[in-house]
Amino acid sequence: MCNAFGIVNFAGSNIHVEGMQDHRPIGAFSFLGRYRTIDFPISNMSNSGINHIEVFVKRNPRSLTEHLGTGRHYNINSKRGKLHILYTDDKLQSDLYNHDVSAFMYNMECIEKVPYPYVIIAPSYMVYSMDYSKLLEKHLESGADITILYQNVDTAKDEFMNCNVLNLNKQKGVLSIERNRGTAKNRNISLDTYVMSKELFMELVKKAAKFSSMYTLRDIIDDECSELDIRGIAHHGYVAAISDFKSYYDANMRLIDYETAQDLFAPDWPIYTRTNDSSPTQYYETSNVKKSVVSNGCEIEGTIENSVIGRGCIIKKGAVVKNCVILPGATIGEDVHVENAVVDKQAKIVRVKEVVAKVEEPAYVGRGDIL
Amino acid sequence: MRQNNMLAMILAGGRGTRLHALTKKVAKPAVFYGGKYRIVDFPLSNCANSGIEVVGVLTQYESVLLNSYVAAGQRWGLDAKNSGVYVLPPREKEDANLDVYRGTADAISQNIDFVDTFDPEYVLILSGDHIYKMDYSKMLSHHKACGADATIAVIEVPMKEASRFGIMNTDETDRIIEFEEKPEHPKSNLASMGIYIFDWKLLRKMLLADMVNPDSNHDFGKDIIPAMLKEDRRLYAWKFKGYWKDVGTIDSLWEANMDLLDKNNELDLSDPSWKIYTEDVTSTPHYIGENGVVNRAFITQGCVIDGEVKNSVLFTHAKVGKGAKVYDSVLMPDAEVGDGAVLHRVIVADGVKIGKGAVVGSADSEHIELISKRVKGVE
Repeated sequence: MCNAFGIVNFAGSNIHVEGMQDHRPIGAFSFLGRYRTIDFPISNMSNSGINHIEVFVKRNPRSLTEHLGTGRHYNINSKRGKLHILYTDDKLQSDLYNHDVSAFMYNMECIEKVPYPYVIIAPSYMVYSMDYSKLLEKHLESGADITILYQNVDTAKDEFMNCNVLNLNKQKGVLSIERNRGTAKNRNISLDTYVMSKELFMELVKKAAKFSSMYTLRDIIDDECSELDIRGIAHHGYVAAISDFKSYYDANMRLIDYETAQDLFAPDWPIYTRTNDSSPTQYYETSNVKKSVVSNGCEIEGTIENSVIGRGCIIKKGAVVKNCVILPGATIGEDVHVENAVVDKQAKIVRVKEVVAKVEEPAYVGRGDIL
Repeated sequence: MRQNNMLAMILAGGRGTRLHALTKKVAKPAVFYGGKYRIVDFPLSNCANSGIEVVGVLTQYESVLLNSYVAAGQRWGLDAKNSGVYVLPPREKEDANLDVYRGTADAISQNIDFVDTFDPEYVLILSGDHIYKMDYSKMLSHHKACGADATIAVIEVPMKEASRFGIMNTDETDRIIEFEEKPEHPKSNLASMGIYIFDWKLLRKMLLADMVNPDSNHDFGKDIIPAMLKEDRRLYAWKFKGYWKDVGTIDSLWEANMDLLDKNNELDLSDPSWKIYTEDVTSTPHYIGENGVVNRAFITQGCVIDGEVKNSVLFTHAKVGKGAKVYDSVLMPDAEVGDGAVLHRVIVADGVKIGKGAVVGSADSEHIELISKRVKGVE
């Protein structure tokens, strides 16, 4: 049991994933074949003993609500616990006003009613494993008003673009929150994961809404850095921010390495997802698969190298799939060569025989497209 | 029950003695099959897919695991209101001492009160030991169309094998005129699949009589069906076409797994219109490493492969080390094959480890070897 409830927040307008995000929110993105990115924050919360989770959904809710269902598959207690899907105000004048603070305001009644004194807020566009009960423990020990989880990286020039960055003093006090514009290699990337009391959270949300109708949670916390005791706690291990198309591709590709994956999928930290009841994957005589992650329900006759294959994909004879992320239900036809690409759900590459992009700029094949 | 007024009873008490160590601590219906399933998933999924809402599972031999496994009815979608899987081990009753089920028919007799609470018109009797996909609603339609008192599902077997089965001799309208258990000189090749639909009122009466018959074995095949024929009841055969396998031995369990490797195999577990449901296991997709070679294989989530896998079925979390060779074999859940080990024609039981460099089984063995104990590695 954890004395906090969870909020899974949607990505702010600083984050946009070309192509894929047109079809679903980032939380609903297929990840490593069988998951969706939202499985990570929810599993983290569930494993941490958080039994009451509020998931905020901004737009295109269909795939996400279907995936989340009652939350039973996340091991949330069906009687004492709750997985609550909350929507943003649909009467907003413009999308600019549709941000987390307005969503929290719109659902303030639900938040007020939650019988837990602390809240853990985590984003749906980041993938990492973390025991939030330990984070809450550290937060309480320190006496801080707000604790923010961050990761120190030395790749900030190329990665985590537009993500939030914590400007920390030596005592890990947060001086300000900035955006990563790729100007320095070493940065403390905010994992947009906050711990605070429910009381303070509600107060800040109301304050932000009053101050500016475009203020987000991150903005008001940044403003409060001089007033409140806000501290950073470092996370170590695998972290991915799905902040643009390339980062989505890279986040998947990095997990092809089994050792790296062990860091995210610890044996005592299960990541739950919704079962699809697909059969095991069938490999035929001509299959040739190396260094890949393959989900259930596939039929494989071709060659796969250094790729992630989603559930229920068909890789035909003579096909070559190299450095690709193939989303569930896609078909790669006979003798088709696909290299350095993300192939979205249900797409069929059958008529063109070659889809090859540069590794620095992977190609995107749209959802359900027939090439 | 509203859908078809039929309740199913699955006989799941089988010991499966010839499966040796695989059934030492679990009943045969709980034995693993097909990479991610247990055998009992087949009748349960068939029930769910056929619109049957109430399923009783009769357990007896080593039932602890099986009882908790089948009780989680949501796995098969059997958890809506008025729907459910009921675990029915033998129990002590007001008017009788605690007794084991004395036979297949006795298992139902001892649960007449259970069936009565649902007041079904029809009762479907199934075996928990068989691998097949069947739409029982079609069988029920046939039962109704024939105006039958009982319908028995039959499958055509090769004539030379017919003497291993219970054989139904029918007239041109499929009415059963004679039933012969393992006949020396079979007159037909229609083998009983151990799947019966009965009118409950009639079956209830027959079971009550059977319970007190001192000469009875309390068995459907040996007692109830012959008694019905003697009474000139309307018994009909319903011909099933498709994959059906009773895996009684290590060899046949292995074979049934190997059947899945054929393209367009008859069982077709990937058919989205008739899915087989099972326990939802939390694990990553399977990993194939740099040294992995995988041909003709059926592999499920959680496996980690860095060796060669050919003609084999790998269950959840099976691991194949670097340079290991797994040929014509079945690795059950959590089985581990150490680096450089070589496997030919074996079933490795769940959780069993094969040490580095060990050589197990042989390519030209007559029978399949079951590896149920840790095999030490060789340096």
